[in-house]
Amino acid sequence: MSAAETGSNPNETKRMLVDARGSWCPGPLMELVRVIQEEPVGTEFELLSSDEGSRKDVPMWLEKAKHQLIEVRAESGYDRYVIRKTH
Amino acid sequence: MPEGGAPPSDQMAIVLTESAADKLLPFATLVSGAVAMGMRVDVFASYWGLEAFRAKAAAAPAFVSPGHGEAGARLESSLRDKKAPNWRTILEMAKSLGELHIFACSQSMEIMGLTKADLDPIVEGVTGVATFVDRTRSANVTYFI
Repeated sequence: MSAAETGSNPNETKRMLVDARGSWCPGPLMELVRVIQEEPVGTEFELLSSDEGSRKDVPMWLEKAKHQLIEVRAESGYDRYVIRKTH
Repeated sequence: MPEGGAPPSDQMAIVLTESAADKLLPFATLVSGAVAMGMRVDVFASYWGLEAFRAKAAAAPAFVSPGHGEAGARLESSLRDKKAPNWRTILEMAKSLGELHIFACSQSMEIMGLTKADLDPIVEGVTGVATFVDRTRSANVTYFI
């Protein structure tokens, strides 16, 4: 598990990488909850998870917590979730 | 304010009476999922569940419940080889993210000859069953593990 800033993009949205690959359920979701609590509104996160449970848990949590799921992409052996903290 | 959008009244109550890894890991996983969903979680640790919260128990190697023969041995080595997360670490993380309250059963404390000083500091206090029941009388999810 690690979190790192991936640098600023042109519109200056802060984007943070949350690499939770290898972390067991519900580790990736817990990592996401933690960074969303800590970072300011508007921050974008790239969450990497190899836990199959995340595929339902993460979108369901985002819907309940009312943050935005921008993209989900299947990579080789893991999934990439792009998320924005909206409030 | 709890993340997960749950109203503050959403509450999970768990009575924990077991201390083997195949009970503690599901227990800790359940707790962290509930906290992530914005629920308040109250735990009543009783008998072997209280044994799990003795100060030195968390560092001990994982063992599984007896009675599973070779499958139990396989699970034990699998938990080690796959470097399963420590249940205690999962609880610590859950507590840092939301509302988790762990209480020791006063009857078990007396029978097992324990004082609060013998317990892991994550345990908030020692209570009688009536106090725990009163705290959790409006819980909408309850588990006995």
